[in-house]
Amino acid sequence: MNMLARKLIAKEFYLLRWLIIGSTVAGIAGLLIAAEGVMRFNIGMLMWLTTIVAFGVVLATFAIANERKERALQFVLSLPLSHGDYVRIKVIGLFLCFLVPWVVLSLGAIVLIVVMPNLPDGMLPNIVLLCVFMLVNYAFVLCSALHTTSEGMMTLVIIVTNMSITLFIFLVLGVSALRTDFQGPNPVWNDTFWIVLGVELATLAVTLALPYLFAARRRDFI
Amino acid sequence: MYSGINISQTDSRPMYLQIMEQIRARIAAGDWPAGKELPSIRALAAALSVSVITIKRAYLDLENEGVIVTRHGKGSFVADVNGLAGELQEGKLDEHLAAAAELGTQLGLTEEDLSARLRRAIRNVDKK
Amino acid sequence: MTTTRHIEMHGVRKAFRFFTLEDLSLDLEPGQIMGFVGPNGAGKSTTIRLLTGLLAPDAGEVRVLGHAMPEGQALAKRDIGFVSDDMRLFSHATLDWHMRFIASIYPNWDEQYAKALVRRFNLHPEQNVGGLSTGEHVKAVLLLALARRPRLLILDEPTSGLDPVARHELLGEFMEVLKDDERSILFSSHNTVDVERISDRITFIDRGRLVDSSDKEDFLERWRRIQLQIPAGTAVPDLPHVVSKVVDGQFVTITTNRYSPDLVSFLGSGVREVQRMSLEEIFVATVMHHRELRGT
Repeated sequence: MNMLARKLIAKEFYLLRWLIIGSTVAGIAGLLIAAEGVMRFNIGMLMWLTTIVAFGVVLATFAIANERKERALQFVLSLPLSHGDYVRIKVIGLFLCFLVPWVVLSLGAIVLIVVMPNLPDGMLPNIVLLCVFMLVNYAFVLCSALHTTSEGMMTLVIIVTNMSITLFIFLVLGVSALRTDFQGPNPVWNDTFWIVLGVELATLAVTLALPYLFAARRRDFI
Repeated sequence: MYSGINISQTDSRPMYLQIMEQIRARIAAGDWPAGKELPSIRALAAALSVSVITIKRAYLDLENEGVIVTRHGKGSFVADVNGLAGELQEGKLDEHLAAAAELGTQLGLTEEDLSARLRRAIRNVDKK
Repeated sequence: MTTTRHIEMHGVRKAFRFFTLEDLSLDLEPGQIMGFVGPNGAGKSTTIRLLTGLLAPDAGEVRVLGHAMPEGQALAKRDIGFVSDDMRLFSHATLDWHMRFIASIYPNWDEQYAKALVRRFNLHPEQNVGGLSTGEHVKAVLLLALARRPRLLILDEPTSGLDPVARHELLGEFMEVLKDDERSILFSSHNTVDVERISDRITFIDRGRLVDSSDKEDFLERWRRIQLQIPAGTAVPDLPHVVSKVVDGQFVTITTNRYSPDLVSFLGSGVREVQRMSLEEIFVATVMHHRELRGT
């Protein structure tokens, strides 16, 4: 099973390689644009943000719903694995596929802020929280894709998660404890930061655990 | 090796009978001499693309007729009986004669009429 | 020499909203081919999905290669080659990629045989799977299943969409599999001519129920169509095992599913002809009779 799991995860990376590389490149391009100045900063960061979010959505829907629609799911299920194995491999494989560009682009954003003198380092805590939030968001989309076969439901999930990013930026990152030192020269890692981070990570853990508890236990797969 | 044996599904005779006939024909002609080993059931099935069960049935019936002999674990062989080839040919002749007699009776021919026709047929063969 | 049956289904029930598979029992011994025949919607695909672990039965037992399904499917599938006509490969990879993929997972992969099948099926390994026609796609999936030499092949409509040459090749490959008396095949098909030719056992299914399951030769020997000519007005004696009786003036056609020479003697001089029936005719007559009995 381990060999099979490795082969299947490798297959995810292989089949999605252009998507992974393309998104990473687009995200870095956004960061480079953002480095050019105030106006460009907004455009560039928007590009960076959109890239990460869009990549996550395409990844989850393409690798799961499409596989099902294109009837390659039957082929995968004809391999020597159980339904639980399939779900677990999908979660791990697709999470890793997202993680690679996410790490690159998150570090890229951090590096950008640290390196560029015109970008206050006080932004760092917020950027960290935003990056982790996008990871949690992706986990949620991934988890949904594994539990529902309805395209309508998935569209709803995608819309809601997209909206939630904007809401997160305004409502959470706009909280005074996180806004006060935003323009400051030094990053302030206060309690609010740690609480929000903790909640994010806990949500991430729960969201990734859900497929193991539900989708993996399904007795009928088609 | 078995490309000469052809099983037709559009033939009215069942497949197992066709197989038996073709095997009998080869034995009668002498192509498959006494003591020759027959192909294994599964090998013949694969060669003809016909189910194993059909070949099994054909072999079983041929064995019941005494045309072949199956030695458990060793395979099937053409029966080593003197004059088997001739016997099979004569069996074929009897089949044809029986069909002729049946048809003749249906047509209302007497024994003399039928015999006359048979004699005429024999003379035609000699002429060829 | 193992005597474990390759497939054992007993009293299996599976209910859906508009369809229920009821009391299904099926057995397959090693070294056999079973043809699985039924009208559309009869439950063939459902049965096959129960066998391959895609569905779990509501009641009854499913054992494949000795493993209970669906619980034991991860182990069972090491030795099962499953192909269904609506199964597809990854469209953005080549056939060669798939061959490497399967070869790395299954130890029994036979590279020589795979290459021979590529030639025989007229496929191009460097071609992207997405560019294959339906027929070529099915052949590709079959190739991947055959080249691993699995003990049991479960095939759902394997010849649908194939041209006559490809079908002929495929049937040849199936019979090659059966040279090994430890391997077996279960295949569902609408092509009754092919089923009649290569099956050892045949199972008929209709509207979620098993209708008949027997050795093929048994089916062909039991069924006859008897043409009678009797004086008009004479009643045909009531006989058991008469599946249908059609009266056209003096001419009566009886279809029976338990033929014996005694029956002909009993019917006497009125018998004009005794005809064997093709598997297709037997199948249609069986289903019609079954529906009549059930009042559906």
